[in-house]
Amino acid sequence: MWDVNAAATMPALASASPSFASVAEAELDAVHAYLLFLTGDRAVAEDLAGETFEKALRTWRRFDPRRGTARAWLCAIARNSALDHFRSEQRRRRREEHYARDVSTVDDPAWGQGAAAVALRKLPAADREVVALRIVLELDGPTTARLLGITRTACSTRLSRALQRLEELMRDDDV
Amino acid sequence: MTTFEAELAHELRSLPTAAPAGLRERVRALGEPEPRRTFPAFGWRRAALVLVPACLAAVVSAAAIDGLLSSRASHQDSSREFAKLNQHGATGSGSVNSLPSRSALSPSAPVHGSTPLGIPTPSTTRHQDYQADLRVRVDDLESLGRKTAQAMQVTRGLGGYVASVSQSSERGEPGEADLVLRVPVSSVEDAMIQLSALGTVLEQHVSIVDLENTVRQQRQHVRALQLQIVRLTAALRQSLPADVRLRLQFQLDDARRNLRAATGARKATLREAALSRISLALTTEHAAATATHHRGRFGNAVSAAVGFLEGAGAIALTALIVLAPLALIVALVLWGVRTVRRRTADRVLAAS
Repeated sequence: MWDVNAAATMPALASASPSFASVAEAELDAVHAYLLFLTGDRAVAEDLAGETFEKALRTWRRFDPRRGTARAWLCAIARNSALDHFRSEQRRRRREEHYARDVSTVDDPAWGQGAAAVALRKLPAADREVVALRIVLELDGPTTARLLGITRTACSTRLSRALQRLEELMRDDDV
Repeated sequence: MTTFEAELAHELRSLPTAAPAGLRERVRALGEPEPRRTFPAFGWRRAALVLVPACLAAVVSAAAIDGLLSSRASHQDSSREFAKLNQHGATGSGSVNSLPSRSALSPSAPVHGSTPLGIPTPSTTRHQDYQADLRVRVDDLESLGRKTAQAMQVTRGLGGYVASVSQSSERGEPGEADLVLRVPVSSVEDAMIQLSALGTVLEQHVSIVDLENTVRQQRQHVRALQLQIVRLTAALRQSLPADVRLRLQFQLDDARRNLRAATGARKATLREAALSRISLALTTEHAAATATHHRGRFGNAVSAAVGFLEGAGAIALTALIVLAPLALIVALVLWGVRTVRRRTADRVLAAS
C-alpha cells in the first residue's frame, strides 16, 4: 500500500519545483495502482509503470507544477502507455484469432481474493479506471475529467455507475 | 457518501496495489533528468499580458513619432509658404495664411526672371506663349463687382483687352467672377502684380511655352514660298510651250495660296506671343485648405497620429477578418481530433 499522504504533500512539492527522483518516489505506488486497476494484470502494470517513469524522465522539462499536480501528469502519461498497450494487444489478438475478453483468465489475481477484488475483475476497464482515479488515487473531479478527456458531469456519471455496478457485483458474489 | 461507499472506498484502498520492490529499484535507477532551462518559460496568458500592452505601446509610439515628423514637415512647408507670401508685397490686404503660389513651367521654356510675387516673367528676346491662372479671394459680394471692374480697368490700362467675363453673385452662395484677360507680354508683370493686389491670392498657375522654334520654321516656310514665287514668275516671263506654261501657272497659284496661309499662321503665332492670356477667378468663398493651417503644430501632430492609428486599426481589422475563419477552422480541427482520440480510447478500454 502506498502512502496516501503523498497527495497531500503535492502542493508543497509543486511550489518548490520538486526533483524528478522525489516525485517518482512519492508517486510510484499511485501510478502502479492506477495501472493495476486499468489493466487488471500485475505484470503488465509493472511494465507500464516502468515505461511511464521512463517517459516522464524524458519529458520532465515539460512538466509545469502550475498547471496541475505531478500525480495527474504521471497518470496522463500512464494512461497513454496503457492505451498503446491495449491497442497492440488487440492487434496481436486479432492476428492470433484468440480474443480473451475476460480478465479473470489472468493467472495472477491482481487485487487478491477478497469480495471487492473479485468484483473488480468483472468490471470494465473504463469503470475500473475512474474508480482508481477518484477513489484510490483521490484525484479531484476536474483533474480526473481532464485526464480522461471528458466533462466533469460525464466523469461523475461514470464514477457513480461504476460504483453501482461494483456494489451489485459484490452483492451477487455474496449471494 | 453512503456507509457502503465509505466501506468500499476503504476496502479498495486496502487492496495490495503497492509497486513491487523491483520496479521501485528500476525507477530509482533512472536518476535525475538534465537540468531545466535557465530562462523562464512564459505561459500564454502571461505572454499575452506582456505582449498586448507592448504592441499597443509600440503602435501608439509609432503614431506619435509619425505625428511629430508630419507636423515638423508641415511646419517647414508653412514657413516656406510664409516666406514666399511675405515676398508678395503687392498682395495688399492678402492674408499670409493663404495658399502658396504655384508655378508650372514648360521644361523647354527659358524664363527671363520673376516678379516680386515669385511669378516667372516672359523673356523679352524670345517669342513665348504666356498663360497664367490666378484665383483671388475678395471679402464679400459687394467688393466682388468692384474688383471685377477694377481688373478690367487694369487690363485696358496696360494696353490689353478683356476676352470674356462672367460673374455670379447669388445671395447665400459664394460669389464668383471669371475673367479671361489678354495683356501685352511686356506688361504681364505689372498685370499680375495689380491683379494679385485685388485680394488674397488662393492659387496661381503660370505656363510658359516657348514659340521661338515655331516662329523660325514659319519664317523659313514663308521665305521658301516667296523664293518659289519669284522663280516661277521669272520662268513665266520667258517663251514656253503652252503646256509647260500652264503647269507653271498652276504651281505659281498654289505657291501664292500657300504663302497667304503661311503668312496668316505666322501672324497668328506672333499675335499669340505678343499677348499673354490671364484667367482670373475672383471668389468670395473661403478656401477649405486655409483652415488646416490654423490648427497649429500640435493639431497637425494629433491629426497625423490619429490618421496613423486609423491606418493601423484598418490593417488590424483586415488581418482579423482574414485570420478569424482560419482560426475557427484550426479550432474545429483540434476539437475533432480530440473527440476522435477520446472515442478511440473509450473503444479500446471497452474492448480490454
